Amino acid sequence: MPKSPTVPNCHAQPLCHLSELGEGSARGFLPDEDGQDRIFIVCHEGRLHAWRNACPHLAGAPMAWKRDAYLSPDGRQVMCHAHGARFEPDSGLCVHGPCLGQRLESVALHISTSGQVSLADPHLTCSV
Amino acid sequence: MNITGLETLVFGVEDLAACRQYLLDYGLHAAADDPNRLLALDGSGVELYPADDASLPSAPNGCQLRLAVMGVADEATLQAIAEELGKDREVHRVDGRLQSVDDAGFAIAFQVSRRQPLPLIGEISNAPGSPIQRVPNQLGVVAGREAIQPRALSHLVYFVPDLAKAERFYVERLGFRVTDRFDGVGPFIQPAGSLEHHTHFLIGAPAFMHGVEHFTFHFGGPTEVIQNGSRFVKAGYQAFWGPGRHIFGSNWFWYFNSPFGCHVEMDADMDLHDNTWRPRLAPLGADASQAFLLRRRDNWMPGPGTPENGDYAN
Ligand code: FES
Ligand SMILES: [Fe+2]
Repeated sequence: MPKSPTVPNCHAQPLCHLSELGEGSARGFLPDEDGQDRIFIVCHEGRLHAWRNACPHLAGAPMAWKRDAYLSPDGRQVMCHAHGARFEPDSGLCVHGPCLGQRLESVALHISTSGQVSLADPHLTCSV
Repeated sequence: MNITGLETLVFGVEDLAACRQYLLDYGLHAAADDPNRLLALDGSGVELYPADDASLPSAPNGCQLRLAVMGVADEATLQAIAEELGKDREVHRVDGRLQSVDDAGFAIAFQVSRRQPLPLIGEISNAPGSPIQRVPNQLGVVAGREAIQPRALSHLVYFVPDLAKAERFYVERLGFRVTDRFDGVGPFIQPAGSLEHHTHFLIGAPAFMHGVEHFTFHFGGPTEVIQNGSRFVKAGYQAFWGPGRHIFGSNWFWYFNSPFGCHVEMDADMDLHDNTWRPRLAPLGADASQAFLLRRRDNWMPGPGTPENGDYAN
């Protein structure tokens, strides 16, 4: 899947506030011009994990079935809704499906003292 | 065997409400007598049940599709299938359907066709010289038109672990014809009572993929596929591939992720073939699979008020 063109003026912009991400939820951010989010964040056991919205089964394949719908029906795993691959929400390891043993690509986050969540490396915003 | 095509796909799902809303937003409508039976205009469609419903046949590998129901021309065909499959497997009647299992481990059933005739014409384009045109003052595009409804269940794509065995079953036992084939992948197949390029496509795949790749309904034409798909994206659903136009079958396609553990496609304008057709063979590849592939963007228009660089600015 082709890389998205550069997105100017996106440096270090907060993605959201910590309080907006409830335990056991997932949310997509940084939509590209296809309306697909470039990354998503999962809140799992009190920690945030950010992953590229790109299934290792087919390079770059988007994973949700609806905006923000990145989790399995029981909410315990990340799931690719193309062919049903399931991933551990904290390690990104595929534990079921066609990319078994492969991993999601993680994206480092920065959380400010006031609870603003942003990308640790703002330049990433432009390349994921 | 005078099998006329797929009529109903029965799913056992974990989140029934989400799956139902997905199909309603896709364009199907609920049957008057059963809110979990979602129908296209000709009455073909999808039945939804909770995954743990004990009345559903089992499926391989956690696959959510639990039964594929095909239509047949008449009671005699039903009898012939019962005799043929009864030779080496269990066949039983459930709700007027003859139910059994194929050689890939998927439950299948047959019923005397319940599809309603559709007195509708398809999309007509005005082309110089063509004897068939839209009549004067009939519009090609109605921007705010109401719900766009799929017309008929189209096809189903299986991942099968033993391709040769699955193909033999459909061809030798049920009388399907191979219309085209992707080398090393699998055949497009058509039952004897249908002219559609394919009602099934079989893909050889490792055991852990055993299941369904996608299913799809026919729409009235490319405009409906793209207009309906654009609305689907606006409603928050996630496109996977398309819109574009396939070469084998010539059908327009747009694939979406879904809560069914497989893709769901919108398609239109598939080729018809009869038994004089000679199957083609092509190696699978991007160029063999599509004539062209488009990419969706939010609507924008060059002109006054448009930011410098148009929509590309952002
Ligand atoms: S693309 Fe994710 S499971 Fe196939
Ligand atoms: Fe298809």
